[in-house]
Amino acid sequence: MAPSPSCTRPLRRRRFNPQRDLGIRLLAIYALFVLPLVGMTLYFDRLATERLHADVENANLALAKAIAEETNLSLGSFLGAARRLGAEPAVLQASVPAMQPLFEALAKSRPEVNLVYRLNAKGIMLYHYPQGSDVAWSTIGLDFSFRPYFQKARTTHLPFFSQGRISPTTNQPVVTAVMPLWVNGEFRGLLGINISLNALSLALQQIAAAHTSAENFTVFIVDSGGNIVASSLPGPSGKGESLLGNITTLAPALGGLPGSDRTEALLLPVKGQDTLYAYTPIPAVKWGVLVGRSAEAAFNTVSAFRRATHLALALVIVAGLLFWLALSRQVLGPLEDLAAYSRHIGREGPHGADERATLETLAERPDQVGHLARTLRRMETDITARMQELHTLLETSAAVASTLDSRTVLARILAQVERLLGVQKCAIIAWDEQRQAFVAQASRGLSPRYAERLVIGRDEFNSLTLRALQANRPLQISDTETDPTATAIRPRARAEGYRSVLAVPLPTQHTPPAALVVYYPEPHTFTPQEIDLLTSFANHAAMAIENAALFARSDERLQEQTRRLEALVQSMGDALLLEDHKGQVLYANRRMAALADLSAEDLSGAETERIVQRILNHAPNAAAARAALAHAAEEGTAEVDLRLHGRLTTWQVQIFAVTDSRGVAIGHGQIWQDITANREIDRMKASLISTVSHELRTPLAAIKGYVSTLLADDVTWEPEAQREFLLTISEETDRLSDLVSDLLDLSRIEGGSLKVQPEPLDLETLIARAARNAHPAPGNRLEVHLPADLPPVFADPRHIEVVLRNLIENAVKYGGETSPVRVSATQENTYLVVRVEDEGPGIPPEHVPHVFESFYRVESGLTRQASGAGLGLAICRGFVKAHGGKIWVEPRARGTCIAFSLPLTPPNDSDTSPL
Amino acid sequence: MEAPHPTVLVVDDAKSLREFVRRNLDVRGYRVVTAVNGADALEKFQAHKIDLVILDLIMPQMDGLEVIQRLRLHSNVPIIVLSALGEENTKIQALNRGADDYLTKPFGVGELLARVQAVLRRARHTPSTQESPVLVRGPVVLDRERHEVTIEGRPVNLTPTEFSLLEYLMQNTGKVLPHRAILQNVWGPEYGQEAEYLRVYIGRLRQKIEPDPNNPRYLRTERGVGYSFNA
Repeated sequence: MAPSPSCTRPLRRRRFNPQRDLGIRLLAIYALFVLPLVGMTLYFDRLATERLHADVENANLALAKAIAEETNLSLGSFLGAARRLGAEPAVLQASVPAMQPLFEALAKSRPEVNLVYRLNAKGIMLYHYPQGSDVAWSTIGLDFSFRPYFQKARTTHLPFFSQGRISPTTNQPVVTAVMPLWVNGEFRGLLGINISLNALSLALQQIAAAHTSAENFTVFIVDSGGNIVASSLPGPSGKGESLLGNITTLAPALGGLPGSDRTEALLLPVKGQDTLYAYTPIPAVKWGVLVGRSAEAAFNTVSAFRRATHLALALVIVAGLLFWLALSRQVLGPLEDLAAYSRHIGREGPHGADERATLETLAERPDQVGHLARTLRRMETDITARMQELHTLLETSAAVASTLDSRTVLARILAQVERLLGVQKCAIIAWDEQRQAFVAQASRGLSPRYAERLVIGRDEFNSLTLRALQANRPLQISDTETDPTATAIRPRARAEGYRSVLAVPLPTQHTPPAALVVYYPEPHTFTPQEIDLLTSFANHAAMAIENAALFARSDERLQEQTRRLEALVQSMGDALLLEDHKGQVLYANRRMAALADLSAEDLSGAETERIVQRILNHAPNAAAARAALAHAAEEGTAEVDLRLHGRLTTWQVQIFAVTDSRGVAIGHGQIWQDITANREIDRMKASLISTVSHELRTPLAAIKGYVSTLLADDVTWEPEAQREFLLTISEETDRLSDLVSDLLDLSRIEGGSLKVQPEPLDLETLIARAARNAHPAPGNRLEVHLPADLPPVFADPRHIEVVLRNLIENAVKYGGETSPVRVSATQENTYLVVRVEDEGPGIPPEHVPHVFESFYRVESGLTRQASGAGLGLAICRGFVKAHGGKIWVEPRARGTCIAFSLPLTPPNDSDTSPL
Repeated sequence: MEAPHPTVLVVDDAKSLREFVRRNLDVRGYRVVTAVNGADALEKFQAHKIDLVILDLIMPQMDGLEVIQRLRLHSNVPIIVLSALGEENTKIQALNRGADDYLTKPFGVGELLARVQAVLRRARHTPSTQESPVLVRGPVVLDRERHEVTIEGRPVNLTPTEFSLLEYLMQNTGKVLPHRAILQNVWGPEYGQEAEYLRVYIGRLRQKIEPDPNNPRYLRTERGVGYSFNA
C-alpha cells in the first residue's frame, strides 16, 4: 500500500491543554511544595536578620552604655576632685604656694589631668599647674572671664564641666571640671581642672583596637553641643585631630542626638557606607557616647546567613526545575510521543518513517518507557493483524451479500481463508441429499482427484468432519502421523500431503449440515485465534449457503404466487389495465383485451390511448364517453355507455394512480366494470317506487279531490253531480282496495304464509266471474273455449279467480282495443292447462323472462301504456305455484299467450306451499 | 284581481282526476280544455289560447317532462305539475324543465285553486304605479311594462316566475334575502318551505343571465340564508 500523505507528517502531538498536561501538573505540585518553602525561608530569613540586627544594635548599645558609664564615673570623680579641691582654704584664699602641692598631687594621681588652675573673681589666671616647660604657654595673669564656663561659674555653686576646647595653656583639647568658689556668698573665682581629651580618646582607642579595621569601629564622646570630646579615631599625630569637631560633619542626621537623654540606634550612610550608630547619654555631664561601626561589617554574619539561605533556596528551585525538565524530556515527551503514536494506530494507514524511528528509539530504552514503547509496538502489530482479519471478514461479508450464487460465494470465502491464514488447502464439506453423503461443495488447493473422492458416509464416525458436526464445535488433528484418531485418514493425508487438519461446523439452520475444513502440510496446533477466525468464516459460509437456498425457495414461492395472481386477475370479470407514465400498457387482463377486440399479445406494450379508442368505438356517443373518461382521470370514476353485441351496457371506469410498496408512483390503473346489471336494479328500484306511488296516489288523489270538492263551500253542486262524485270516490276506493289486496297477496306469497283452501270448482263459472270483475272488462271480446269432458279441478276459487281476472285484464289492456280475449283449457297428463291469449303487439322477447317478477313492467319511466302496478303476473305465479302448478309465456307469432297449469289431483301438502 | 275567464289546459290520463280538476275550475269561471295524453296536450295547446297548463307527469306515450320541454320551446305559459311522485329529484327535474309549480297527489281543491291563482297572478304581474317601470342594475335592465330583461342590451327570455324572481331580487340589490321572504314575495304568501323551487329558479336564472353560471356574478348564494343580487 502506498503511504498516504498523512504518513509523512511528523508525529502530531495532542493539542496542548494545561489542565491535562502531566508536566504542568507535576510542575504545579512541585510549586505547591516549593512555594511555601520559599515563603518560610524568606520569613525566617527576615526574622533572623532582624534578630541579628537587633543583636548587633544591642551590642553597640551595650558597649556605648559601658563606655558612658565608665566615662560618667571618671568624669564624676573629676567633679568630686574639683569640689574637694575647691573646698581647700588654700584654694579659696588663692595662696599660690599652698595650692601648688595640692594641684601637683592631683595632677600626679590622675594622668588625664592636663592642667589645674585658679581664676580669681575677675577671671584672671592666678595660678596653674604644671608650669614652666610642661606647658606650652603660661597664661598666668591672663583674663579668662570671656570663657562661657566662667560666666556660668558666677551663677552656680555646684561643680560642672565646661565645653570642650583647646587649652591655650597646654595647646591641647581639653574639657574643664569647674568648681565655682564662693565664700560667704561672695564669688571668689573658680577652680578648674582641665582633663585632656586625648587621654579620654586613648581609652576609646584601646576599645576600638579590639575591633578589626574592616569593622570601621568608632567611638565618640560628644558634649551637649555635639562637639566630639573624645574619639577612638587616632589622628596623624596620635592626638585625635578630629576632637572638638562637630559630629554633624560625620553625618547631619547625628545632629539631633547630643543632649538627648535617650538611648538610640541609627543606621546612617557615612562616607559612602552604611554605618550603624548607637547613642547613649552620659548623665553626669549631659554628654553622650556614640558608637559607630560599619553596617556591612556588623551585619556580615547576617548577610552570610542570608546568602546561604538564598543559595540553598535557589539550589532547591533550580534542582526542581532541572528535575522537571529531565522528567519532561525523558518521560513526558516520550509518553506524549507514544500517546500520539497510539492514537494513530488503526487509523489513516501505517505510520510514517519518522514516527516509526521515534518509536524504535524509545523501544531501545531499558526503562519503563522502553517497555511501554515495546508493548505499543506489539499492540500495533496485533491490531494491524486483527484489522486485516476484520477487513478480510468484511470483504467476505460483501462477497456473501454480492451474489446469491452459493458456489461463487464459497469460492470467495475459501480464497479469503487462504489469504488470511496462509493455508494452501481448504474445503467446505456439506451434506448432499442426492448422494446421501457429505461431499466437498467447494475446495481450494486440494487435488481434483482428492476433492472428488472426498465423500463421507453418514456412518463414518472416525471422520473429523463428522465428529466436529456431531460435537457442534471445531475439532482438529494436530498431526495425522501421531494422532490415534487419524489412523483412518493417514493414507489419504499422506497422499494429499497434509499433516494437520481443522474442521469447523457451519451453523446452518435451514440447509443441510456442512463444515469448513482446513489442511496444513506440517504438524500444526491451531490456536484459539485461528479457530475463532475460521469460525467467523464458517458463519459467513453458512450465511451464503442459507441465503442462496432461501432465495431459491422464495423465488419458487414468488413465482407460484405470481401465477395465482395472474390467474386471478385474468379471470376477473372486470377489465383491468396498468399503464406507465408514458401511457404504455404494462399489463392488461383478458377482459380488457376482449373489450378492445385485441389479442393479449397485441395489448402488452401498446398505447393506452389506442386501446381506449378501440373501446370507445363501441360507444353510442363517443364524445360524451371521452368527456366521461377525462372526468374519471380527474375525479377517479366515471360511467361510460357501450353498445356491445347489440346490447347497451354501462361501464364504470375507475382511473387511479398506482404506487409500489414504497409509495413511488408507477403509473395509472384503469378498471372497467360492467355495471349494467346494477343500473338495471337501480332502475327497477326507482320504477317500483314510482309504480307503487302512482298506483296508490292516483285513486287517493281522485278520492281526496272529490271529497274536497264536495266539502268546498264556495260552490253548491247539483245532486246529480254530487252522486257522480261519490260514485267516483267509491270506484277509486275499490281500486285502492284491490291494489292493497294485491300487495297483501304478494306479501303473503313472498313471505310464505299464503293459505290455499282447495275445493272442486267449475272453471266456466269462475272465468265468467273473473271477466265480469275485470277492469277494464273484456265485454264481448271475451271468447271462452272449454272442452266438454273437462275433469273437475281442485283449487282455491278465490285465488284462481284472481289469476284469471289478472290475465284477462292484461289481455284487454295490452291486446289493443280490437283484439279478442281468448280463454281456453285442456287436460295435459295430470294437469289442467288454462291459456289466456290476445292478438296484441305481444311481449318483447327481452322482457319475457322477467314478466312474472314483482313490479316488473314492460315500459319504464313516466310513460305508461296502461295503468297497473306490475303485480298481476307476479301474484298469478305465486297463486299457481301455491297450487303445485306452473305459469309461463307461450310463444306466439302474434299476440300474447299466458298459460298456467293446475294439478288435477290436489297435492298432499297443498295447504301451505312456499313460492 | 282575476282576469275574466282564463283558459286552463288540464292534462291527465286518469279520467277521475282530470274530471275533478275540470269540474272545479269550470264551476269557478275558468275555461277548461282537457287532454288525455302529451300529444293531445300539445295539440290542444296549439288550438286554444291557453293561460295555464295543469299537467300530470306520468302519462302514456309522452311523459309530462317532455310535454313541459316542448311547451317551453315556444311559450312562457305558466305550468303546474301534478304528480304522484313526491321525490325531490322529480320535482327538481320538472322545475328545471320549466314548470312553475308542483302539486303532489293527493291534494285538495283548495290547494289546487290557490296554486292556480298564484301562478296566474305571477304571470299577469302588473307593476305598481309608484315604481319606476325600468330597473337598471349595472348591465342588467328589467322593464316591467314591456316585461323584458336585457343584459348589455342583449334580450333575455324569462318565464313569468323567473321574471318576478329577478325583479324582486333586483329591487333589493345588495340585500341578502332569506328563502322564505323570496318565496312569499314571488310565489305567494302560501309558500315558504319550497327551497327547492328557489334552487331551480336561481339555477335557471343564472343559466340565462350569468356570463359564467358556475361562477355567478349577479346572483350570489348566501349559504344557509338565501340569495342576493349584486350588480
